[in-house]
This record gives sequence, C-alpha cells and structure tokens, in this order.
Amino acid sequence: MSATSGRQSRREAILLITPGVALLIGGFLFPAFQILAMAFVPATEDAGIWSNFARFFVDGYYLGVTERTLRLSVIITAITVVLGFPIAYIIARSGPRLRLVLLIMTILPLMTSVVIRTFGWVIVLSRGGPLTDILHAAGLVERNFALLYTETGIVLAMVQVLLPFMAITTLGAISAIDTRIEEAARTMGCSFWRSLWHVVLPLSIPGIVSGSLLVFALSISSFVTPSLVGGVRLPVLAWSIYQQATSTLDWHFAAAQSVFLLLLVMAIIIPYLALMRRKNG
Amino acid sequence: MVNRVPFAARATAVILGAAILFFMLAPLAVVVGASLTAGQFLSFPPQGLSLRWYQAVLSSPAYLSAAWTSLQLAVLVMVAATVIGTPVAIALTRHRLPGSQIVAGLFLSPLILPTIIFGIGILIFFSLYADGPSLTALWLGHTVITLPYVIRTVIAVLEDSDPAVEEAVRTMGANWWQRYWHGILPQCYGGMAAGAFFAFNISFDEAVIALFLRTPELQTLPLKIYAELEFSPDPSVAAVSTVMIAMTVVLIVIIDRLLGLGRVTG
Amino acid sequence: MRIAAYGLSALALTAAMAGTVASTAAAQETLVINSFGGAYEDAHRELVIEPFEEMYDVDLQVVTAYSADMLSQLRAQAGNPQFDVAHFSGGQEVIAAEEGLLEPISRDELEYADELYDFAVEGLDNGVGPVYSVAAVGMLYNTEALETAPASWQDLWNDDYAGHIVLTDISNTYGLLGLLMINQVHGGDLDNIQPGLDAVSELLDRSVIVRSSPEIQQNFAQNDAWIAPYAQDYGHTLREAGLPIDFVQPEEGSPAVFITANVVAGRENTDLAKKFVDFSLRAEAQIGWAEALRYSPTNRTAELPEELAAQVLYGEEAMANLVTFDPQVVNDRRSEWTDMWNRMITQ
Repeated sequence: MSATSGRQSRREAILLITPGVALLIGGFLFPAFQILAMAFVPATEDAGIWSNFARFFVDGYYLGVTERTLRLSVIITAITVVLGFPIAYIIARSGPRLRLVLLIMTILPLMTSVVIRTFGWVIVLSRGGPLTDILHAAGLVERNFALLYTETGIVLAMVQVLLPFMAITTLGAISAIDTRIEEAARTMGCSFWRSLWHVVLPLSIPGIVSGSLLVFALSISSFVTPSLVGGVRLPVLAWSIYQQATSTLDWHFAAAQSVFLLLLVMAIIIPYLALMRRKNG
Repeated sequence: MVNRVPFAARATAVILGAAILFFMLAPLAVVVGASLTAGQFLSFPPQGLSLRWYQAVLSSPAYLSAAWTSLQLAVLVMVAATVIGTPVAIALTRHRLPGSQIVAGLFLSPLILPTIIFGIGILIFFSLYADGPSLTALWLGHTVITLPYVIRTVIAVLEDSDPAVEEAVRTMGANWWQRYWHGILPQCYGGMAAGAFFAFNISFDEAVIALFLRTPELQTLPLKIYAELEFSPDPSVAAVSTVMIAMTVVLIVIIDRLLGLGRVTG
Repeated sequence: MRIAAYGLSALALTAAMAGTVASTAAAQETLVINSFGGAYEDAHRELVIEPFEEMYDVDLQVVTAYSADMLSQLRAQAGNPQFDVAHFSGGQEVIAAEEGLLEPISRDELEYADELYDFAVEGLDNGVGPVYSVAAVGMLYNTEALETAPASWQDLWNDDYAGHIVLTDISNTYGLLGLLMINQVHGGDLDNIQPGLDAVSELLDRSVIVRSSPEIQQNFAQNDAWIAPYAQDYGHTLREAGLPIDFVQPEEGSPAVFITANVVAGRENTDLAKKFVDFSLRAEAQIGWAEALRYSPTNRTAELPEELAAQVLYGEEAMANLVTFDPQVVNDRRSEWTDMWNRMITQ
C-alpha cells in the first residue's frame, strides 16, 4: 500500500466503492427516506415536527422497550462471540472430512424458514417440552418450568440462528491466518493455550468484529423470533415498529421509532468500528 | 495442522463442539419430527408417522414453482451482492478513505432498519418513480439488504491477509488490473464464498420485502408459506423446511466434491 | 480465478433470467384481487373467482395478502395502485375510504344489494364496499377438558380455567373486538375502555396472550389450552384439523367481524371490479362460505341446510344480536387503545 501513491490509491478506491455507494443511496437510503421522512410530519396539524419523537419519550414505556432491545442484543452478541470463536477454530483446524460435517451442521439453522424454526423453539421451550423434561430429570427445575415467554428464551432462540453468522465470519478470518505463524509460536515454546490467546485470537479480531456487527444489527432488527418466543409481554423495538406499521397503521410514529433505532445503533457501531480499527493497527 | 495439541484442549473441543451442535440442532430435530406427523396440525412428538406432508408438498405445483422462483431470485441476488459488495470491502480495507468508518457503518444500515419499513419505503419508491413492483424491484431490494453480509465477510478475511502478496505481484510489473485480479481477489475468495452463501440464504428466506414488491406472477417460497399459515396451518411447512435442510446437505457435499470446499474455507 | 469466471457467467445468466420472468401481457381483461391464502383462498376460487372468470371471460389474478398487509400495500401504492379489488376482514376499509384509496359504490350499482341485511350495505354511504361474510367472535373451548360449555364472557374469570386461558393481542382484530366486548360486559363503552383493561389485567397471571391464529392452534394442540375468545370460523378450522374444539356464542352476544369487498380507486377497470364485488354477494356463494369455513351469510335469501345452520350464526334474529362497534370510532381510537393495552400487559 505504501508503494501506491496516495492520489492513485484514492482514485482506485473511489472506482471500487462507487457501485456499492450508488446502490446504497439509490436502492436503500432514497427508498427508506420515502417513509422515514414521515417521522417529521406531525400526526395532527397543530403538533410540532418533533411530536412523533416526543410520543416516544412521554413515559417510561418506550424507553423500557429500547432498553430491553439493546440489552438483549448485547447479550446475544456477546454469547455468539464466546461460542463462535471456539466453533470456528475447531472447524478451521479439523481434518477435511470432519470440517465439512461441522460446517454443514453449523449453517443448517439458517436453512429453515424463520417461522418454522421458531416453532421448533416454542416446542422446546414450552411447559412440558423436552428442555423441561431434561432439566427436571436432572433435578434442576420444577415440572411446570418453562422458558417460553422469557428473555432467556429469546436469547437462546436468537443465538441459535445468529451463531452461524459469527462462526462463519470468524472462520474466514482464522482461515486467512498463516498456520506457520502458529507453528512458529509453538516451536518457540509457547503452550497451546498461550498461542491461541496471543496469536490466533488477536489475528481473528477482524472476523470477530465483522461477525459481531452482523449479529448485533440482526438481533436489534428482528421481530419474528422475539415476538413468538418472548410473547406480547416482552416487546422489542422492532416489534413495536412492526405493530405501528401494520396494526395501528401509524406510519409517522413507526418512522420516528425507526429513525431513533437507526441513529442509536449508528451511535454504537461507528465508534466501535473506529476503536477496533485503531486497536488492530 | 498444528501438532502437539494438548489432550485437555482436544477434550474441551470435543465437549464444547458437541454441546454447541446439540444446541444448534435440537430445534431442527423438532421440526423434522413434526414434519413426519400423520396428523393435521403441527405437533411434537408427531402423532403417528407418515410421509403424507412430503407427498403434499412435492406434488404441489404451487410449492414447486414458488421454490423455483425463489431459487432464481436468490441466485440473482447472490451474484449481484457479491459482485458489488466485494469491491466495497476492498476499498474499505486496502485504501485509506476519509470517513471510512462512517461509510462502513452506513453500509450496515440495511440490516438495522426493520424490513417492514424498508418494504413500505421501496414500494412507495417504485410506485412513484417506476411502474410499480416487479422482479427487478425485488432483486434490487434483496440485493440491498444482503450487501452488508458480503462486505463484512470479505473485510474479515482481507484485514488479516498479507499485503505482501500484492506487493510481490506489483514488483513483477503487473498493471493495476492484474494486481487486483491476481493479487487481491484470490485473497477475498473465502469471504466472498461466505458472503455469497449468506446473501443466497437471506434472499431465499425473506418474506416481508417480497410481500410488498411481488406481483401476481411472482410467488416466492416464503410468500407461499405466509399464504398457508393463517387458514391452513398444517405440517406441510415443516416438510418444506426439512426438504430444504436435506437439499442443503446434498448441495454442500456436491460443491465440496466439485470445487473442494476446503480450499474456499481454508 | 475460476470463481471469478463463474461469477461473470452467472451475471450474464442473471440478465437472461430477469428477462424471462417478466410478465406477459394478457389478451383478456384482467382484474387483480387479494385473498387470504390457504383454505380461504381455495374456497374463494371455487365460490367466486372461477365462476366469475367463466361468466365474464376475464382473467382474475389473485395475490395473497392479509388485511393489514393489503392496506399497507394500497397506501404505499397510492397514485399508482396495482389492485382492482381489495378484501378486508379487520375494518381496514374504513381507513382506506377515508384516505381516498377506495372507489365509492352506490347501491344501485349492486344487483344483490337489496338481498343483503341492512348492516351489510350501510358502509356504502361512507365509501366502503359491502359486507359479504361475517365472522362471529365468541368462545373456543376444549370439549375434552371442559365438561360444560362456557356460557358467558364472565366465565373467563372462572378460577378453574386458570393457566389454560389464551387471549389475543390487540394488534389482531379478533383480539381488539374481544377486548371491546369484555369492556362492554364490564360496564365500559367506546369512550372508556378502562373497565375492559382492568378486567383483562386480572387474567394476566393465569393466561397467555398470543398474536396470531397459528399460535391459538399451537396452544390448543400442544400447551393444554382450554378456552380462548376467538372467531367461529377458526374454531371450525381447528376442528377440521382434528382438535376437540367447539365454538359457543356467549349469552351477552358476539362481536361481528365484517369481511368486505372493496373497489380500489384510480384503476381502469372499476366497472368490472364493481361487477366482481356484486358477484361476491350472491346467495350461492354465501352458502358456500358457510359450508367451507362457517362464515355467516349477509344475504338474507341464503338458506342453509339445517345441520349447517346449527353450526353458523345465521338468520335475521341472530344477525340482529351481533354486537357491532362503530368502525369510525374504533379506527380513530385504535392507536390510543393500543398504547394503553401495551402498557397494561407489559407492567
């Protein structure tokens, strides 16, 4: 990169990024603007342009919904990081045959339609479902124990479908690591765990960052699984938006909530990206 | 393969791996089980065993043509997202652009905005500026929401890869075109493959944007499932999912035989 | 290298495929309508769509879109609509008419208008289409779990049912009407739904609240549900699927869900669309709806065989006993009620 002159590098970069930016603006930002602009159109004539946002802050209800949404997304992302790295490492370092089997098993949850996959979870988590049976047999819980309609249930069901995104993205980064670096660390007397911690993990950071961004963004905007597994009494922001858009048909308020959601997530993601970039060189 | 992996590490890997995979596959086992029921409704354990719902799905022209439409759409989306997303990822990692973190963040925004809002927005857009919904509109809509996957997966592999390879290609006198083609692009393959898979998968399972942008001729598989849920919620949807699981396994094994998946994933 | 080559050839293939899927212009006249999918759509085709196609030599294109999604689409396409006829079952026609999305139909444009009960054509003055079916909301109960059928809305508070009650969220029309009915039984009215909310809040700890029909099915099939306020037609769907479910109309009455056929404004074929709406009102079709899905006819000349009549709310008297809530008020207040409901259930 150092050898490429700054000006040429920038010209190439612009050439590379233009189709994507054009698609983002023309295919996403502009169409999204068609409805997001409604956030600033007051529902009644005498209200101000911020009235749709004001409704969001009028009492603790929507703040509570936002808090739950953020908290669950952070927990889900953290769990996928903790589980995704070892799974990716195991896949990357397995023999070809085992690797294929593990890879297939990891991505299978993605191959079922979301509605039917969630049905599977509702069964597993419900009163009298297999999970209760197992835990009850182990003497851990009561007979009527159920994780359906709990936040724990939402986290479990979301982690299952989002883990593949984390595992595959991290796998990409681990695969790009030259195994000779790891060998070298080991020959120089590093223990397996030390080389994993000091060599592999730092080099996997770009994959983990990418994976965590995907998982975080997806968990914050999904509504089918949280709504079916969490039930009506544990609403998340995306469900609230969906409800306003299709049931009460208040598109102004739905748009205001969406604008709020977008800004909130950008305010988290952009500093996170900058921080990770600096740490990583 | 690194030698001398301690026993404790191997044992941990086996136990942890098995536990995670059990967690991942248990709900799918429920779905497969429910699809084998002889009864009229989704239940687990199944009420008697039968393949009637597979027969119902596989002999239904509506299901088959919807699956075919979805397959075509998903391939179109996958190709477009990969071809457009990969250069973006290269630009964001290989070049210093002003405000690149913000641009990188903005490229994630299609994932964050709930699809219901984007679906309404893009339908308004095509009603105002084009002749209403169409396959092209749906292709565009799906490409936009799958682009972030390709960009992130390619960035993940590029940030780790070795710029020295490009340097070597350059010193051998390659022009800029050859430098990308022989130097950078091969390093992206792993990320591109993962991103393409995600793009295909997301498009194949997406119902909300498809609901807004479909035309009477354009029935995708998720829309067919949507159409069955309210008034005929029978186990055929579980059978569809099971068929998809089986097809995925077969497809991946075939791709592995033909291309050698090992090379793509490392 | 190889992958890049695949990519390029795939791109070429892409362009070719995009071309082939593009729609072909039909020589016949065409109407685009929505239906509700599954068994509903099958019945719709058999009773109305196919006979109409034959009689008028037109091509009907059916798109599955439930009421709320249908209204969202009409609204987003305002100015350039892609539908000719819109069917709604959740009162959305009132909003659509208010927003100018519907073409008003006058009474004398409908040949069958005179055969309908008054309530079915009352909306015409406000620009909404006629009611071609009615779904009654009452109690679904598990006939194996309950020895005696529930008789009153008050039975929901029977302590014996605790833990086996399924309620429906306000985002679902049946849930909204159920709430309004509970409210009325507890002394509230459309200006004050607090009595209804208070009553439901007493049930929160002993019931589950769901949002959609499939969840109702799942609760009866899998989660030991005994009783749920819901619609008669869905009770029939569950019974057909082999579940021991029966429907009962509580003594205080059943709220009515109107299923309407509306003509979309701004399309070329509105005359033909009106003919289609009219065609939906025929007694034959309405008898068919009762047979297939247990909807109540709105055409007073529709005669149901005795056995069927026992399973469907039917006839002059039964229709008069249906509880209706002013759709205009319901739509104006829906957003406010939703906020109150959401806050109550998440407390």
